[in-house]
Amino acid sequence: MLAPMLSNPLRSVARRLLGVRRTPTYYLPWLTRPGLDCVLLLSNIEARFKSGYNEGPFRVSVLQYDADGSVVRRYEVVLASSADTAEVPLEPTAAGCGFVTVRGDRVHSDLYVTLSDEETYTATHGRGEFIETYPLRTRALMTAARGALALLGRTIPAFARDQYVYGGADSRSHLLLMNLSNVTNRIRVTASGEGALPGARLLALPPMGSRLLDISGFLPMAGYGTSVRRLRLEGNAWFNLYVVGAGPRDLAGPLSLMHVK
Amino acid sequence: MSSDLSALLSATFYEEGYDHLLEPVHQRDAAARRHLASLDVTLYDAEGKPLGAVTVDPRQEVLDLASLVHEHVTAPGRVMAVFDARYDERIFPYRPHHYAYLHRRGSPVPSLYYAVRAALGGVPDRIGATSLNNFENYLFRRRNFAERYSLLLGNLSRFSAAEAQVFTYYRGARLTQEVALGPKAHVEVPLEGRRDGQPLERVELKAVFGLASYVVGRRAAGGDLVLFDHLFPYFK
Repeated sequence: MLAPMLSNPLRSVARRLLGVRRTPTYYLPWLTRPGLDCVLLLSNIEARFKSGYNEGPFRVSVLQYDADGSVVRRYEVVLASSADTAEVPLEPTAAGCGFVTVRGDRVHSDLYVTLSDEETYTATHGRGEFIETYPLRTRALMTAARGALALLGRTIPAFARDQYVYGGADSRSHLLLMNLSNVTNRIRVTASGEGALPGARLLALPPMGSRLLDISGFLPMAGYGTSVRRLRLEGNAWFNLYVVGAGPRDLAGPLSLMHVK
Repeated sequence: MSSDLSALLSATFYEEGYDHLLEPVHQRDAAARRHLASLDVTLYDAEGKPLGAVTVDPRQEVLDLASLVHEHVTAPGRVMAVFDARYDERIFPYRPHHYAYLHRRGSPVPSLYYAVRAALGGVPDRIGATSLNNFENYLFRRRNFAERYSLLLGNLSRFSAAEAQVFTYYRGARLTQEVALGPKAHVEVPLEGRRDGQPLERVELKAVFGLASYVVGRRAAGGDLVLFDHLFPYFK
């Protein structure tokens, strides 16, 4: 759960005043690299337990967003029954990361994203959350406020998340950040904990855009054992993250993805 | 200890040779506003025999499972680590989770990060439940990878034996395995990657009460963990 900077009632009031709409959305991250394929596993097992809705076929629509927020491709899938499974290979792009949204006939859960090289694959689940849509006037206001704060290396801290990151001689964890809104999301990242490298980074994620955050800039990688640091991420709009696991070849080698609560 | 506190019981499995670092509080903030009231860790061998117990300072940010296990066991096989935590619902309005980072030292495979499986300790999740009412599911890629799959199952109950059924699906064919676990016992249940030429598509786990359960994928060459994930629960 994203730790709010405002209490829940205050956030609800602020959302209403700003005219922000939240659309329930199921999404999964994606990541491609040369030699690393990203394939979705789609099913509707959940339908088995919903009397009156457990007969197929089930239509599923997948929209793949690139790191810059543009749509890479739409995939239309038909699941013949609640026991049917479809594998959907995602299209690689130059940026190599982003997220997909999934809409379908009562498809709400238990979808997977997999990363594979020639030898093995890893997998994780998607998340059912929402996309925030800001009206034009609010977007203009946010642009002005964001610009002023960016000059000071700050952002509007509407949402915040704390996440540990790990780094050692032969493994580390990076973060895939996803902007789940239609406004540019400036996310400020700071590290804390013993030995954390000082300074903050201010990232600008375009609407529906993503960014693979290399954590090497936040913690030293030398030496034996695995170092741990705590990152604080603050953004002006709704965002979430997945953990990207790497081995000794770091981002040039096989990778894993893992969702967080 | 205050009776207003809520309980969280979770478990994971330690194997020799891995960096295995556990976050008692996922998303802990710098000021530690999100913190547990207490945390006890107990280690068990495959038969459910206790190997050691330790009370952890709830202010500790990351637990090194390898160090903790080696304080109690000289040559560990697979060890189940059970985490008995108490938390204040005013601090955690949602049920917290422990998370962990996992990587075999020297392995070429990527590190893994996962939510530690929470489960009740030997009571049905619904009062009056008499049948298998815990249903979990996991899907697999159909391509033939150089990877071996299994389920890691642990029974967190103090007194009750647990019975579970593991169903695997291969293009319409279904294979059933029965599993019986004594209190605090744990087992790795291998899943056939192919059966009669058909690939493993799905696994289901059914039990009267929730077990500590993980889907595991191991690299065929060497057995390094490349998949360590929770199944998706439907009934509980």
